[in-house]
Amino acid sequence: MKKQVIIEGILLALLFLVTWIGLAQVDWLRILKVETVTSKTEKKLGDIFLETFKKSDQEINNLQVTRGIDSIVQHICHANGIDFNRIKTHVLLNDQVNAFALPDGHLVIYTGLISKVANQEELTGVICHEIAHIELHHVMKKLIKEIGLSVLISLGSGNASGEILRESTKLLSSSAYDRKLEKEADIKAVDYLIQAQINPDHFANFLDRLSENDDRMYAYLGWINTHPDAKERAKYITSYSHSKGNRYLKILSDTGWQALRDGALR
Amino acid sequence: MIRTEQFIYTPREHEEEAASNSYVMSMVAIIAGLPLPIFNLIATLIFYLGNRKSTFFVRWHCTQALLSQFTLVILNSTAFWWTISIIFWEKSWDNYFFAYLLTVIIVNIAEFIATIYTAVQTRKGIHVAWWFYGTLTNLVCKPRI
Repeated sequence: MKKQVIIEGILLALLFLVTWIGLAQVDWLRILKVETVTSKTEKKLGDIFLETFKKSDQEINNLQVTRGIDSIVQHICHANGIDFNRIKTHVLLNDQVNAFALPDGHLVIYTGLISKVANQEELTGVICHEIAHIELHHVMKKLIKEIGLSVLISLGSGNASGEILRESTKLLSSSAYDRKLEKEADIKAVDYLIQAQINPDHFANFLDRLSENDDRMYAYLGWINTHPDAKERAKYITSYSHSKGNRYLKILSDTGWQALRDGALR
Repeated sequence: MIRTEQFIYTPREHEEEAASNSYVMSMVAIIAGLPLPIFNLIATLIFYLGNRKSTFFVRWHCTQALLSQFTLVILNSTAFWWTISIIFWEKSWDNYFFAYLLTVIIVNIAEFIATIYTAVQTRKGIHVAWWFYGTLTNLVCKPRI
């Protein structure tokens, strides 16, 4: 009797597994149009959020700035097999030391960040961190987690209230991802930097410097406020990048970097 | 998957009714408990506990109904928490998830149909034993001497 129960149980489990694995061979994501719905919503959300930021902060169209930033992003993308056209970079006139990713691959950099970094490698490190958030799909995950998929869909279809839009915009620019996602993005950023032959120590130095500086001037540091535990992060970035690369280069020439900074500060 | 067998004695009218009710109970629980699968098990368990000192025919069918609910609870809970983990813990949708959901829905429908059929047959005094669950019930539920 016991043997019969075991045999029948195994057969039943096998029937379940065969049905499950068999059905998994069907491309449900395509049939249910999961990817299409998500990417359409993401595109609409990206446009809505970007417009909201552009209403309060003017976008810099100075060629010295946009060309410099594009060169950095293009170099990172090319070195890491990322589709450059997917990353849409925008430099906005704002004193906050901040950069953040929006849905649909929009990367926003404030002029405050460009003025506060010590060199182009530090800026490249922050850009890599934000590209990592985009590539790892952290932006939509954060939005879905914080405000819910249904609200996002209503926002994308233009049915949500202005208050929800304001809250969501604030969420994207001024609150952190959770620790696990931040670490993932940091580690990915270091990989991007090493592949692109950029010294990751500068990125760690940037975090370390900001975490130590308690000057009043730094009270307005958006990026560091939204990315807590900077000292700890600087440590694991240094530890992770240790002995990973030794031949480094500069993406922009000294004059190109200076032109970018001057353009952003003007 | 479902076989009609000769029971060791002919059940009386009230036994047929109570045995049939054990399936009706789990069916009502399926309808009420869809969002939270644990309700199915709790309802069937309460009915089982209420009838554990009843006659062999009633106990046998309460046990079969209860055992079948255990599998459903595990499968449905997995589906429930898998969905929750995708929504709240940043797991991604994939074909295995949708295939699992569909398989679980098929199992639930099959169980639902089997439950209705068994409830009707048991009410007529016909002893219906399910594949695996019937054999397992024979193993754990013995007549009192």
